Amino acid sequence: MKIGLFIPCYVDAVYPEVGVATYKLLRHLNLDVTYPLKQTCCGQPMANAGFENEAVPLAEKFEDKFKEFDYVVAPSVSCTAFIKLNYPRLLKGKHECQTSDKIMDVVEFLHDVVKVNQPLGTFPHKVSLHNSCHGVRELGLSSPSEEHVAPFNKIKDLLQLVQGIDVVEPDRPDECCGFGGMFSVEETAVSTQMGIDKVERHIATGAKYITGADCSCLMHMAGIARKQGKDIQFKHVIEILASGL
Amino acid sequence: MSTSHSKAAKEFLKNQEYAKWHDATFWSVRTKRDKMAYGLEEWEQLREKASAIKRHTLTHLDEYLDQFATNAEKNGVIVHWAKDANEFNEIVYDILSSHHVKKMVKSKSMLTEECEMNPYLEARGIEVVETDLGERIIQLKSQKPSHIVMPAIHLNHNDVGELFEEKLNSEKGNHDPTYLTYCARLSLRNEFLTADAGMTGANFGIAETGDIVVCTNEGNADMSTSCPKLHIAAIGLEKVIPNYDCLAVFQRMLCRAGTGQPTTTYTSHFRKARPTADNMHIILVDNGRSEWIGNPTHWESLKCIRCGSCMNTCPVYRRSGGYSYSYFIPGPIGINLGMLRDSKKHSGNVSACTLCNSCQSVCPVKVNLGDQIYLWRQQLDEFGTANPQKKLMCKGMTVLYNHSWLYNLATGMASWANILPSFVLNNGLNPWAEGHKMMQFPKKPFHELIKELDK
Amino acid sequence: MSNKEDILKKYRSNIHERFEMPDLSDITPITYKDPLSQFIEMSKNVGGNIIEVKENQDINALVKELYPDAKEIASNLSEITIATRNPDTIENAQALNGTDVGIIRGMFGVAENGCIWIPQQMKEKAVCFISENIVILLRKSQIVNNMHEAYKQIAFDSKYDGYGTFISGPSKTADIAQVLVMGAQAARSVTILLMPD
Repeated sequence: MKIGLFIPCYVDAVYPEVGVATYKLLRHLNLDVTYPLKQTCCGQPMANAGFENEAVPLAEKFEDKFKEFDYVVAPSVSCTAFIKLNYPRLLKGKHECQTSDKIMDVVEFLHDVVKVNQPLGTFPHKVSLHNSCHGVRELGLSSPSEEHVAPFNKIKDLLQLVQGIDVVEPDRPDECCGFGGMFSVEETAVSTQMGIDKVERHIATGAKYITGADCSCLMHMAGIARKQGKDIQFKHVIEILASGL
Repeated sequence: MSTSHSKAAKEFLKNQEYAKWHDATFWSVRTKRDKMAYGLEEWEQLREKASAIKRHTLTHLDEYLDQFATNAEKNGVIVHWAKDANEFNEIVYDILSSHHVKKMVKSKSMLTEECEMNPYLEARGIEVVETDLGERIIQLKSQKPSHIVMPAIHLNHNDVGELFEEKLNSEKGNHDPTYLTYCARLSLRNEFLTADAGMTGANFGIAETGDIVVCTNEGNADMSTSCPKLHIAAIGLEKVIPNYDCLAVFQRMLCRAGTGQPTTTYTSHFRKARPTADNMHIILVDNGRSEWIGNPTHWESLKCIRCGSCMNTCPVYRRSGGYSYSYFIPGPIGINLGMLRDSKKHSGNVSACTLCNSCQSVCPVKVNLGDQIYLWRQQLDEFGTANPQKKLMCKGMTVLYNHSWLYNLATGMASWANILPSFVLNNGLNPWAEGHKMMQFPKKPFHELIKELDK
Repeated sequence: MSNKEDILKKYRSNIHERFEMPDLSDITPITYKDPLSQFIEMSKNVGGNIIEVKENQDINALVKELYPDAKEIASNLSEITIATRNPDTIENAQALNGTDVGIIRGMFGVAENGCIWIPQQMKEKAVCFISENIVILLRKSQIVNNMHEAYKQIAFDSKYDGYGTFISGPSKTADIAQVLVMGAQAARSVTILLMPD
């Protein structure tokens, strides 16, 4: 299978190490992965802010760039969810839409398609797992705490393949961190308060790291933690999985 | 870059102790709901059935309304139809004045709040006494409800104690909730005994039998209808459901979702006037509902059974409180209903959402609350209420992302931001900096690093 | 055209798509090995008292024992001899105020939530709510598992056929500082007497 690697704009610009880890891990698993050049943004920030028509040209570009791959894999649950759930509607009548069926977040991909079962990297630390909203309630990475369903957590399953790791979850395990894209700059007070509360809950687990499948949540919480003078560290799940490889 | 909600929320959060208490209180209600949901194997099945029953009923509502009214009339009940809030108030006043009513007791009804009935009647010399304790408290305090199920939740026992000292002559300094509840009981008991009429809302109307079903914990709907000689029931069109089999589904979910109890204390069926009373009247209220069913993306908000669980789970509601919303119903359902009611007036609430979708996951009738908020946002520009700064930012992003050379230039230079002096980035023009320390931009973005990896 | 026709016509014209009624017969609601035990437990959970009455036990004496200070007892039940007021013959509902104990009949209980179906069986239903305390006589064999079963069998009285209610425990509120208080506007206590058949 041919995999196209999609590196979202903010991962590209702010957390390239997450992109690097993703690429390295997929190659380590002997997968045929290509990073098409000249990628930019999936359009989610504009769409969530209320200007989804601005996302259409980006969606068309995305389609053209990725349609020949069997899977499009991205280290971002929010971008993946956005493409999967919105591209068919945005492109209807304008452009064919194949990528919404092919796009997968890298955690989903590793868990459900590759079905990774071998030991991965080494990370002998206690980590507090951040269950990003789009991951929980749109991509089904874990069972939503609101619903009466058999509990599962794909992120946790993968993390257990890492040597030495101790994975814990905070209280209110899937309460939103408060980023919400434009929400963070439009409703700064509530966004910050939600972030402060979430970071506090993660810290209360005694973990040294906060990890999750979406850099936007991590970016938001890290910015808040640093401003609050908290020294808890942040790592994307993929960085931990690839740790030491 | 602010909205009516974001400004109000900022004020709310200034009182950190209060805000923490507010958040913890509603989270505990959410937790109680969770316990109920986990305790029933059939919970998710019930949600699916409830949603499907509502979709069927709402898209056949004209038939069910006809059936409901016909059966109610067969029972000797007088059925009225109000096309809007004003007509509703007029009908109520008509009935009351023709019966020479001076005082009416009423149980909880968000519909009467929607129609602003109380001030209408009071201006015409009719005293209206709220009998739900929470509603009575805010009535005495001349405040609006801050939550649809727990309207006085924003007040603590000292607030209520001081209020009762002033209004009910309660013992000075005794702010024990049990004592205060007892004071209210005595006061309201007197009201029930001396009222000329009783009004209830309706949680459900049953088409097959013409019953009005009212669910309370306090028994105030039953007291309101047991002594006064007149009973008026106010019901929104969308509250009518087909039959008892359907009712079982909703009754089981309403209180579990809303307050985490397996049932309300009283689930009362009103079918006919009391044998020793005058007539029973039912007023069916449209007030926009017949229009909303026609909205292809937002009609499902009509499924709402007013349980309040979306508010309890909403991390934004918990941290901003009911008064931060411009519509009388707050939280996720309030954002959506407010936009249906008056999209220009209530656009300022649409920012109050991170699209986390927790609300959708708790809603007992599966209203797609978060999805709808996303769709309302797409329309703000058309309504003329889109935030101009946000629009500019989005246009800016569009330019950046559509031109590779520009994007590459920006990402290539981003690391220069790391060395800018603090005052350049940490000021009022950069809202991100309000709560966050600016991130460190790496020297090379991924699209540069990959070139080295591939070698 | 009347308002009714206007409203129905407008509504009808705005319906886009119609959805079918779902099949409700495949709902798998909770059931109990021992519904009576569950009912007893739930009744206590919701703040009620519940007593299993023995065969041939004198319930009038029992009520007197439970409420020794009760002065005004209201009931229209033929088996109650200690009533000082009768909701069938009382001059008006208001006159029932000040009733210490109201004794009424329940038709069946619901195990999942401690509800008891009480159709109006007296002229003034106020007795069910205005009394400070209520005693509900319930045949202990008449327990159903859940509200689906309950709603298949609720029936109204043939004479007073305009009202019926499910009551689960005493009247309560948590409106003041979220502190649960028994005895809001209606009964401050509920005692269920589980009667032998």
